[in-house]
Amino acid sequence: MTESGRTNRHLGETVAGILHGAWRRNPPELELAESELDRVTPLLLASGAASLGWWRVRNSNLKSTQSALELQQAYRLHSLQSALHQSEITDLVSLARDAGAEPVLVKGWAVARLYPEMGLRPYGDVDLCFSKESYAKAEAAFANLDRTRYQVDLHEGFSKLDNLGSEQLLSRSRPISIGGMEVRVLGEEDQLRILCTHALRHSVWRPLWLCDIAVAIETRSPEFDWQRCVGRDAREADWVACAIGLAHRFLGARIEGTPVEQRANALPGWLVRRTLKNWSAPFPELYPPLSYTRPFVTYFRDPTGLVRTLRMRWPDPIEATIRMRGPFNSFPRWPYQVANASRRITMFLGGLLGTGPKTG
Amino acid sequence: MISKKDHFTPKARQEGLVVQELADEVLVYDNKRFKAHCLNQTAALVWQHCDGKTSTKDIALALEKKSGSSVSEEVVWLALSQLGKSHLLTGRVIPPAGGAGISRREVIRRVGIAAAVGLPVVTSIVAPKAAQAANCLPSGSSCTSSVQCCSNLCNTNVCA
Repeated sequence: MTESGRTNRHLGETVAGILHGAWRRNPPELELAESELDRVTPLLLASGAASLGWWRVRNSNLKSTQSALELQQAYRLHSLQSALHQSEITDLVSLARDAGAEPVLVKGWAVARLYPEMGLRPYGDVDLCFSKESYAKAEAAFANLDRTRYQVDLHEGFSKLDNLGSEQLLSRSRPISIGGMEVRVLGEEDQLRILCTHALRHSVWRPLWLCDIAVAIETRSPEFDWQRCVGRDAREADWVACAIGLAHRFLGARIEGTPVEQRANALPGWLVRRTLKNWSAPFPELYPPLSYTRPFVTYFRDPTGLVRTLRMRWPDPIEATIRMRGPFNSFPRWPYQVANASRRITMFLGGLLGTGPKTG
Repeated sequence: MISKKDHFTPKARQEGLVVQELADEVLVYDNKRFKAHCLNQTAALVWQHCDGKTSTKDIALALEKKSGSSVSEEVVWLALSQLGKSHLLTGRVIPPAGGAGISRREVIRRVGIAAAVGLPVVTSIVAPKAAQAANCLPSGSSCTSSVQCCSNLCNTNVCA
């Protein structure tokens, strides 16, 4: 391993160390040097894990350090943000219902509510999913929404989130109380599966996503149906088990006695290494879509930065494996990366020629 | 409200504020000024008793009851001074007659260093410096989504 490889690994492991058990009301005691905290604080801030970092640091001898105070500031801001979002959500759900459209609240708040405090898990927009039948009503109702006040994404169905049909996801959704109002969220099994596949699809670059998986596992109900969670597709079930395995290996998520325990303890080395590498630089601008600083077609006119952008657009091995529906075994990943890159080039060229959708 | 010291009944501002209570402090977001504030326990208690009917003397008594130790009215005035500067009260805060204003240093001098720990503190919450070094928008910038802001808080198209 090169020197930079060792440095990256160490940084990734330090991030993992700070977030170990951080989602619990009483996380484990933290033992860390101040210099290490100083090094990873920018990474926690950039990746949205600062509140969780403060949650671990607040009862340690590092709580008065400059880095800890920065984490505490982030925790305060995220806490305020969650309060602002709460009132927005009830307004938005009421608006949808008045139009005869029943929403399912996904991502954001639906995940944050699992944590001991909402402010521990920041999120931006409010995501609402609707059945295909009621989506048009919702769109019409939100057409004149004050977008300076409400940041909301409306989704027709659930296809962007999961392969399971909308009808099944809707039928398995359940009501949760928020601000005196009942709002529907996904069933806990579906939510955990989606958290796993979402993290993998995006190369697990954000440590917060594994914290989400960990808290979802540890707060599951006694009636949790693992078969319903992993689904019938063996390949996808294995992906879910591996994502859970990452949450266990790096963050200490408790998976003893679960059906995924054995697989979760036998992760391929490349998956572990790549996750740690990504955690050494968890900056949103390094990953899609923010890494796509300009449409690729503009490089034909002005090739400045072309080499850099090609390097950045080269598929991450985790993402490539998922996109090509490959297995998480110990074989090299480059065939999936080449295949994924080829597919994207084909789609891009198809878009240029007007024969298919464009990418990048 | 201008009145004699003993009858000053401060009133907390309600409009345009979002309040979040944490274990040891209270956070307040001012929707009109796009500023976020943090009140420690003492400051929060004072603010919560500012109902427009309770005098500063009675607020001090309430703090005494809560803390189990003696609380001078100067502590309440110190809190009111900070709350007023942060625009969390309605109307002006007029310091007690004969005083140019209450300073933290002066209060510490009077109540003693041991009691200084429980003094009211109202601070502004600013985005961490490390976040500002990244490619994000600083406080006061126009925004369309919270992820654009260093503070991760975009409200009414302005970064907190």
